[in-house]
Amino acid sequence: MVVQKTAAEMNYGLSLPHRKMEDWRWTDLRQLVDKPYPPRQTVVAAAKDVERLLRSSPFAKVGGARMVFVNGRYAAELSQLKNDTVTSTINVDEPVITMNAAFATDGACLKISGTVDTPIELLFITTNAAARTIATRNVVEIEQGAAATLIETHLGEGSYLSNSVTQIRVGEGARLDRIKVELEAADAIHLSHVHTTLGKNSVFNDFTLTSGAKTNRQNGTVEFKGQGSEAKVSGAFMLGGRQHADTRLVIDHQVPHCTSRELFKCVMDDNARGIFQGKVIVQRGAQKTDGKQSSHALLLSETAEFDAKPELEIFADDVVCGHGATSGDLNHDHLFYLMSRGIPPAEAKSLLIAAFVGEAFDLIAHEGIKEALVKFSNKWLSQHRSGRA
Amino acid sequence: MLEIKNLHVKLADEDRVILNGLTLSVKAGEVHAIMGPNGSGKSTLSYVLSGREGYEVTEGSVIYKGEDLLAMTPSERAAKGVFLAFQYPIEIPGVATMQFLKVALNSQKKARGEKELSTPDFMRLVKERASKLNIGPDMLKRPVNVGFSGGEKKRAEILQMAVLEPSLCVLDETDSGLDIDALRVVADGVNGLRSPDRAMIVITHYQRLLDYIVPDHVHVLSRGRIVKSGGKSLALELEAKGYAQFESEAA
Ligand SMILES: Nc1ncnc2c1ncn2[C@@H]1O[C@H](COP(=O)(O)OP(=O)(O)O)[C@@H](O)[C@H]1O
Ligand SMILES: [Mg+2]
Repeated sequence: MVVQKTAAEMNYGLSLPHRKMEDWRWTDLRQLVDKPYPPRQTVVAAAKDVERLLRSSPFAKVGGARMVFVNGRYAAELSQLKNDTVTSTINVDEPVITMNAAFATDGACLKISGTVDTPIELLFITTNAAARTIATRNVVEIEQGAAATLIETHLGEGSYLSNSVTQIRVGEGARLDRIKVELEAADAIHLSHVHTTLGKNSVFNDFTLTSGAKTNRQNGTVEFKGQGSEAKVSGAFMLGGRQHADTRLVIDHQVPHCTSRELFKCVMDDNARGIFQGKVIVQRGAQKTDGKQSSHALLLSETAEFDAKPELEIFADDVVCGHGATSGDLNHDHLFYLMSRGIPPAEAKSLLIAAFVGEAFDLIAHEGIKEALVKFSNKWLSQHRSGRA
Repeated sequence: MLEIKNLHVKLADEDRVILNGLTLSVKAGEVHAIMGPNGSGKSTLSYVLSGREGYEVTEGSVIYKGEDLLAMTPSERAAKGVFLAFQYPIEIPGVATMQFLKVALNSQKKARGEKELSTPDFMRLVKERASKLNIGPDMLKRPVNVGFSGGEKKRAEILQMAVLEPSLCVLDETDSGLDIDALRVVADGVNGLRSPDRAMIVITHYQRLLDYIVPDHVHVLSRGRIVKSGGKSLALELEAKGYAQFESEAA
């Protein structure tokens, strides 16, 4: 059977993943990439648009040095950090990466040695112009014994498809705290893939807030390459309207004595759709692996939906692994308790929702970043609780 | 302050009747004790007064300070001064105790058109009230009731009461799970709140609490209605003879 190519596929000259593919069953890009988004367009951004977007970052007052990308290109005049040429070597057959390999125009190349105290922010902004694809490819290397906090912020206006692929290497004894905030424009599509390899005795703390774009698909792969390492991969969804977010994580324990934790807290309002696919692989010989994942959804409306697909693939016998997923609405006893103390229903709900996502925010070590996200979350809540008392 | 007349309450999604013609009148400044066996409807009464969902009033009325209490939402009732110290205070993970108390107090003040408290003033108020109840800063740092022992939970309820300064306090088995020292602390806290313009309904299964919080009136609740009322000596009589005599009277 010959499948008719969609307009977007013809424009791209490559095929898009669709629901018949196991990992893409909830996110059929043949349908969700609703029109052509021509790649490699050159758009000159107006300074005032760029300034407005820069100011709208939750981290406008938190970040240290920035590296800014405007419409897929490094903007030296807005960046305090110099950029290098990216040479990325991810060798995985994956649709987001394939698209990125075809269309990437630029990206961040960061090499960190020593301990960097203030957070580094990679800021990707897209200005309003004709619909288009913007693809960036980043490489982050935390050298042996180094430590850093890296913020990755995605902001934009208009209708576009953003494709972001990042390769991260955390060296022996190194530590990376990475906080990604996806606040793309309401009419945007966000596709990403983050491939992380962890050296011996390293620490990787990853947090992703997903609250923008109409369609999201975020892939993450963490490979343990050296013993004694620890990865915490967490995140929060705060979605409303008809937003769609699909996060797929693969945690690959290739060596013994490593620990992985995944925690996702997903708040969904209106007709939002959330998906969490988490797979933990324990390879042969990766004994003493301790791997746990959980996803929890809070559905604020009867039409919001959440699907979780946890998977364990274990080829070693001396391991502790587990997963859990829950989905439900607010606890009525909690609500009553708060209201019985004089807290009006809408505010009581906000407190409980904030407490729910707060459990994931609490995994962020950097206080300033955490505070900025709590502030963002309170703003989101004040916009999403109206009329729903 | 409170006029409950011929109150009939059933479960909202079952045909079971729990309160069956309960009548009670409470004036400002008074302390009323309601005693009764397990399952007689004491907690149900407290929930109906505070507006919990799941109960349906089929007959009767509750007038509070001249207004129809049953027409108000739970938070409106609280803002007008109704407070329930829960029999089983629940844990709310992720909601900090101090934040909760501050939002509660200022929501009430806002609803009443009063000036909200600044953070330093609020902190001072809580610290002062907490120290009287032997509640230290470590307890206040935790999320609402999370990890509190049974006794700590009861003290925390009284702290909330002391901070919110309600006009009508309903205490549902505040004595249960308390050893004698904790009971004294709680009773001192409650007695400290007695005032001519505040009324209290003290629900208890045992008369022990009433040695410390001495009531003006004692009522026996059995099968959803008050079957006997009297002075504080009634509590002693109950202690000696048990509830059995009233079970048959109510039947
Ligand atoms: N929400 C409820 N669902 C089912 N049964 C209830 C509910 N609330 C109260 N009851 C029943 O009503 C009766 C009275 O309960 P309660 O008011 O808790 O009594 P008390 O506090 O005097 O022990 C009991 O038989 C109890 O099982
Ligand atoms: Mg009870």
